[in-house]
Amino acid sequence: MRAPDLSTTIAGIRMKNPLTVGSGTYGHHGVFGQFYPVETMGALVTKTIRSHRWPGNPPPRVHEVPSGLHSSVGIPCNDWDYFVAHDVPILKGLKVPIIQSVIGRTEDEYVEIVRRCSELGIFAGIELNLSCPNTKQGGVDFGYDPEASFHLVKRARDATKLPLIAKLAPDYSLLSRVAKSVEAAGADAISLVNAPRAMCIDYRTRKPIIGNRVGALSGTAIKPMAVYMVWEVYRAVRVPIFGMGGVTDYRDVIEFMAAGARAVAFGTINYVDPMALPRALEDLTTYLQENGIEDVNELVGAAHDDRDELLIPAENRLESEVPV
Amino acid sequence: MEQVFASVVFNRHLTGDYWLLEAEAPALAASLLPGQFVNVRIEGSAAPYLRRPFSVYRVSRDRRRLQIAYKVMGEGTGLMTSSIRENGRCDLIGPLGHGFSLPANAKRIAVVGRGIGIAALPTLADEAASRGIEVHAFLSARTRPNLVALDIFAEYAFPVVTHTDEARANALVTDALAALAQKVRFDAFYVCGSNRLARAVHALAQKQNVPAEIAMEQHMACGFGDCHGCVIAVNLRPSRGEKAFKEVCHYGPVFQTWEVVDASA
Ligand SMILES: Cc1cc2nc3c(=O)[nH]c(=O)nc-3n(C[C@H](O)[C@H](O)[C@H](O)COP(=O)(O)OP(=O)(O)OC[C@H]3O[C@@H](n4cnc5c(N)ncnc54)[C@H](O)[C@@H]3O)c2cc1C
Ligand SMILES: Cc1cc2nc3c(=O)[nH]c(=O)nc-3n(C[C@H](O)[C@H](O)[C@H](O)COP(=O)(O)O)c2cc1C
Ligand code: FES
Repeated sequence: MRAPDLSTTIAGIRMKNPLTVGSGTYGHHGVFGQFYPVETMGALVTKTIRSHRWPGNPPPRVHEVPSGLHSSVGIPCNDWDYFVAHDVPILKGLKVPIIQSVIGRTEDEYVEIVRRCSELGIFAGIELNLSCPNTKQGGVDFGYDPEASFHLVKRARDATKLPLIAKLAPDYSLLSRVAKSVEAAGADAISLVNAPRAMCIDYRTRKPIIGNRVGALSGTAIKPMAVYMVWEVYRAVRVPIFGMGGVTDYRDVIEFMAAGARAVAFGTINYVDPMALPRALEDLTTYLQENGIEDVNELVGAAHDDRDELLIPAENRLESEVPV
Repeated sequence: MEQVFASVVFNRHLTGDYWLLEAEAPALAASLLPGQFVNVRIEGSAAPYLRRPFSVYRVSRDRRRLQIAYKVMGEGTGLMTSSIRENGRCDLIGPLGHGFSLPANAKRIAVVGRGIGIAALPTLADEAASRGIEVHAFLSARTRPNLVALDIFAEYAFPVVTHTDEARANALVTDALAALAQKVRFDAFYVCGSNRLARAVHALAQKQNVPAEIAMEQHMACGFGDCHGCVIAVNLRPSRGEKAFKEVCHYGPVFQTWEVVDASA
């Protein structure tokens, strides 16, 4: 049988395979490919950067939980000049489409960093990390607010010609509405899930364990929730989806693609099993061959069926959750 | 730095609360510098999820094998005693971090360790011995059986002062170092395993204008610099003042004592 076609195009970004990494979970200080060539993956999503220097959150920042990681790193960042002098030359040398993730505390900060990144001319796309408290609007994350997300993405849209990916915060109640907002505002793709908020309290001290008190949860523990959210967003929008949340191997990749993801990101598993992505790529290829699937894109949305109703009673649905 | 599936030579009880794991990992062992560490994955079970970081206790003379001396603390180290078996394999990433540095013309150094912190010191003692540097060890632990590495210092006939809480609860093993340092000149101090000892060593180092290094620990997710999870607050200058967060796995685990003593206060 012919080798299956693994390539895909998402938001206009051509990927030789649908595997990528979650922002902030792969590479550091401009060091990539410590375990395998970064060119193995279909696209590289880099750690979120800001327009200004930021120390990140106080330690402790990580805490192990059953099948997962509780963390609050706080997106530490060097200043822009350092990024340009140190990281950019390294990124330029990589032969893989690079999606730069960015964040800001205000719309203006987002727009500024989007503009600067596009001007560099080295990125295949920009991912807006919407999991940041909107300091001008009472500190609610942009990603938890359909209107704020809309305005932010619209302004970012006007600031760049590059493919724009909106990375959503995992919020059950507003997920579809936020997804539709960012699509309407011009996002070319949606990426989800970012790590949901979480807290662990030490029963002995009765105080939160993580320095920032509030952290996030990632890894295997969140996978079923993340798969569901990808499934829901797939039904709500037409733009393609980068799916992630607890991916460890090729079976998870297939699960996310079946839920509706066109590309799938490896996150926390990179810390534990750094060869997980290349191994999954091999296993995925074998799976496609064994199942007579010639094009990996055939997996996308396979879990959906003709029943067009969401399994939520109509009277409990928000208007925007009416199936598309 | 690389990931290796090392074949396990043995994994057995050492002394007190400690176990000793020896594995064959030639490339890793050959490039390992004193004070560097490895990150161990416990295979074959979903929990624990993360790897566990350990100093390399010793590298064999032919530099093909390495040892880890570990204290059974919780779920991970508990599982290590049963799941890592002779002739089996052990998933390791290393060598990781920046280790100890020996001053160019050092003649005599003092190493101070408490509890499992002692496990970071033998690779330094081996390196010092190979350069003809005399090592004085000051080791402390809760109980006598928890004093590890005594045999290693004995191999070189390096003088060792020991201290256990059972014997003299309030004294510090560094009291003996401070007394000796009045009489003989040390070119560097090294400390790990206790904040109290670190403060004492740092104070002595400042008084005598001698460099002092400390091996730090912090909870880690990756161990190789990617997650930014293992930071501690460090002083950017000996005079204190400006501080920054630095990753223990990347900038450490060995720091100058002035970088970390009192930095988080
Ligand atoms: C650079 C470095 C070198 C180390 N060298 C040694 C050594 O040579 N021998 C030895 O016995 N121990 C050493 N430790 C400590 C060792 O990593 C912990 O004792 C071990 O992770 C405990 O795992 P557990 O599952 O048994 O305990 P649990 O308490 O159940 O672990 C829960 C979580 O906390 C983390 N954790 C707990 N204690 C520590 C700690 N002190 N440092 C970092 N993470 C911790 C674990 O990794 C795990 O993620 C070292 C730690 C670091 C950072
Ligand atoms: C330590 C850590 C740092 C992260 N940093 C970022 C980041 O900078 N930007 C971002 O968009 N997501 C960040 N994430 C979220 C991941 O990219 C991913 O969305 C999330 O962890 C879920 O996937 P996983 O369960 O496979 O890790 C981070 C996650 C972790 C655990
Ligand atoms: S443990 Fe991940 S950066 Fe140090």
